[in-house]
Amino acid sequence: MLAELGIITTAVALLLAWYAVLASVWGAQSGSERWVYSARNAALLTWPLLTAACAAMIISQVNGDFHIEYVWATTERSSDIFFKLTALWGGQAGSLLFWSWVLSTFSAAALLWNWRSERRLMPYVIAFTMGTLGFFLILNVIIENPFTRLWQYPNGQVETALFQPAGAMPAIPRDGRGLNPLLRHPGMVFHPPTLYLGYVGMVIPWAFAMAALASGELSTHWIRATRRWILVAWLFLSLGLILGGRWAYDVLGWGGYWGWDPVENAALLPWLTGTAFLHSVMIQEKRGMLKVWNMALIILTYLLVILGTFSTRSGIVSSVHSFAQSPIGPPMFAFLAISALLSIGLWLYRWQRGELAAEHHLESWLSRESLFILNNLLFVAITVAVFWGSYAPIFTELFIGEKITLGPPYFNSVTAPLFAALYVLMGIAPLSAWGRTSSKRLGRAMLIPLLLTAALVILLVVFGMRNWMAILGYALVGFAGFVTLYEIWRGVKARAQRESWLMAAWKLFGRNRRRYGGYVIHLGVVVIGLGVIGSTVFQQETQRTLAEGEALTLGRYTMVYDRLTRAVAADGRVMTIAEVEVYDGNRLVATLRPRQDFFPNTEGMNTMTIAGSYSTLESDFYVLLVAWEEISQAGATFKVYLNPLVNLVWWGGIILIVGIMVAAWPEPDRLRAAREMSAAGATSLRV
Amino acid sequence: MSDVSAPDGNLSIPSEPAARPRWLSAFAVVIFLLVVALLGVLGLRLIEANKTQPNHGPAPDFTLQIFDELGGGELRLSEQRGKVVVVNFWASWCGPCRVEAPDLQAVWEAYRDRGDVLIVGVDYVDNTADALAYIEEFGITYPNGPDLGTRISTAYRIQGVPETFVIGKDGNIFQFIFAGVTARELSNVIDRALAQ
Repeated sequence: MLAELGIITTAVALLLAWYAVLASVWGAQSGSERWVYSARNAALLTWPLLTAACAAMIISQVNGDFHIEYVWATTERSSDIFFKLTALWGGQAGSLLFWSWVLSTFSAAALLWNWRSERRLMPYVIAFTMGTLGFFLILNVIIENPFTRLWQYPNGQVETALFQPAGAMPAIPRDGRGLNPLLRHPGMVFHPPTLYLGYVGMVIPWAFAMAALASGELSTHWIRATRRWILVAWLFLSLGLILGGRWAYDVLGWGGYWGWDPVENAALLPWLTGTAFLHSVMIQEKRGMLKVWNMALIILTYLLVILGTFSTRSGIVSSVHSFAQSPIGPPMFAFLAISALLSIGLWLYRWQRGELAAEHHLESWLSRESLFILNNLLFVAITVAVFWGSYAPIFTELFIGEKITLGPPYFNSVTAPLFAALYVLMGIAPLSAWGRTSSKRLGRAMLIPLLLTAALVILLVVFGMRNWMAILGYALVGFAGFVTLYEIWRGVKARAQRESWLMAAWKLFGRNRRRYGGYVIHLGVVVIGLGVIGSTVFQQETQRTLAEGEALTLGRYTMVYDRLTRAVAADGRVMTIAEVEVYDGNRLVATLRPRQDFFPNTEGMNTMTIAGSYSTLESDFYVLLVAWEEISQAGATFKVYLNPLVNLVWWGGIILIVGIMVAAWPEPDRLRAAREMSAAGATSLRV
Repeated sequence: MSDVSAPDGNLSIPSEPAARPRWLSAFAVVIFLLVVALLGVLGLRLIEANKTQPNHGPAPDFTLQIFDELGGGELRLSEQRGKVVVVNFWASWCGPCRVEAPDLQAVWEAYRDRGDVLIVGVDYVDNTADALAYIEEFGITYPNGPDLGTRISTAYRIQGVPETFVIGKDGNIFQFIFAGVTARELSNVIDRALAQ
């Protein structure tokens, strides 16, 4: 019953999406409002339909309706309720349905929100969002339908089909196979959906940009509509990346949070181009420049999202995230090719016709515009480097017949200097003015942050740091941080003459959400930078086999191996747990239980190494159980890491998210009106 | 970004729209070709990634290093022409392999004396001690050896274990069996291969 509901609702949504594409384009071409309204209603209607489909799937999962193949493959009776719920995105078919639902949600929200303000773009916004949705629904309905069911013939043969084949009876297994063991983790609740929201959210700004290109309505409207949507997508993508890092750190057991895995990179690439866009879009808003470039960035961001989805799901790159081989590769590739050629073709067309020409020219190399352009070039350089690193195996295999995989050393050595340069710009750019800045004024503005940076360097050296690369890194990151803090302080001080400091800060942030939200984001990035430098440059590790009662020392901590225990969990996993005591000097600070879980009934990746970690703001003492003596249970081998400042990565992430929320929070209409007026007249907002 | 000029500091030089209605400049062509080339590479890779286990045509040749405990030595597939060869990929950590292991051994015992049927076990991603314990546990006597460097499994493009290929007397793949086998099914396939 629920399965039929799911099959019918997704199929109707598919028809409506394609109807909306045709009706909206026809309406726009013929100037017929009725068709455009009809298209809008069809587009809006996909949302309740897909919501019903997702609900049908979730209810089937909770009830354990194993007649549905997807439910059988991703849940089992003994699963926790939240693993039953999250199984919606635990496999290929269900996660595609979730993808479609998220896209439908974003599209409906954009249509309702911007319908009146961006009326002239709307027909094409419908066409491009629904075209994307229509494609994903083709996958959902025809190729990977999550509501496919199991049927059994009298001779015992079992078959999967959407509807009952002649002569077959419903096959209802007594229990399901359960979720892939590596996915049974609380991270599963948040990481995939946030990443999907971030990924899919990028479709909306692209649709606005494409609408502008298609309709020729190339004024700043599309930028205005796009900015908030890209901030929302960027918020979720950032959150998804941070949560993914945390999950890897807790579960994958290599002692780090970022491994430059091709799929991690697939999520990072659109984040990089999206970040570049968030900066360069300001130049277009304020100065009417970089129109060609901004279009290119948003198109690139969208294509990287589709490419990322394609490479993760088609098995063309190998990674810890790889889904099983699946038949969606060829259609996804076709979609990628069509959207790439269409987007880039339209963009080149408008560009060649001169419709994306700049309204101003760059006046001085010492202006905020030119610093932003430099920032963009750096982001694009990192994008290219990461892209090459992720896809190099494909190219080398094709052209020189040998698969060359580039590992973390490549990524670290290529991107570190580029990131360092970005931190320098992050320090200087906020101090520069639009149009032109005199070097004297810039120097004066930088004086105090520079002095603070010098003090930081002296402190580091006094406290015994001799690693000059790390000192340089801390100096650059610190400088960016000091500039940001100094700028916030100056803003607050100017107001604080009239009101209390707290009130002044509150109002300052409220009146200039974009600028001060941006500063908070910068602070978050600075804190992350400090954490990354600390945990990569100063990471210590050791590996030792200990007998019971033996100890090892790393940094200021001593770890004593107590005993080894075995347990079997409700879901059948066999857990081998080592108990260790961690001492700071002579004081017992923690008892940790690093463990290895083995899933006896699972093929392929069936072990999971779960670290035990004693965490302070200063460092993480991170213990992995690597091996043990099977029979005597006397000795066990541990890999132990001391990860300094790693917690700053998470704290920085939280600050970053707060900053995005400040920047993206809808502002009251009167403030926006005032800002747009001042933006239209002024060339420089800064002193 | 090519618009770095106006040294006299002219504030605004709005350029007239649609001034250069050229449709294809060299730059546009280059960009377009680049995109097409990138797509081409991805497409080729996709075709490569979508190739699955062969179920007809010549069986990829391999040389298997037999475990010393089973007699040692090397076994070369191409030297087995004239026999029906059952190549079974397995691993000691794999649950379904344990289910089919007694059946494989039973089939081996039924056909061993004919001389024109051979079963070969290829141990996939395993450690030797575990593999030998497995062989002993099930009393396996047909030749088995490790898939060193996963070369054999790559050539046969297996996606997991167990997977079984039945190779005809002519050296062509007769049938590919994706899941675990039972003695009855396997004998059936072997008989048909022998009759070929």
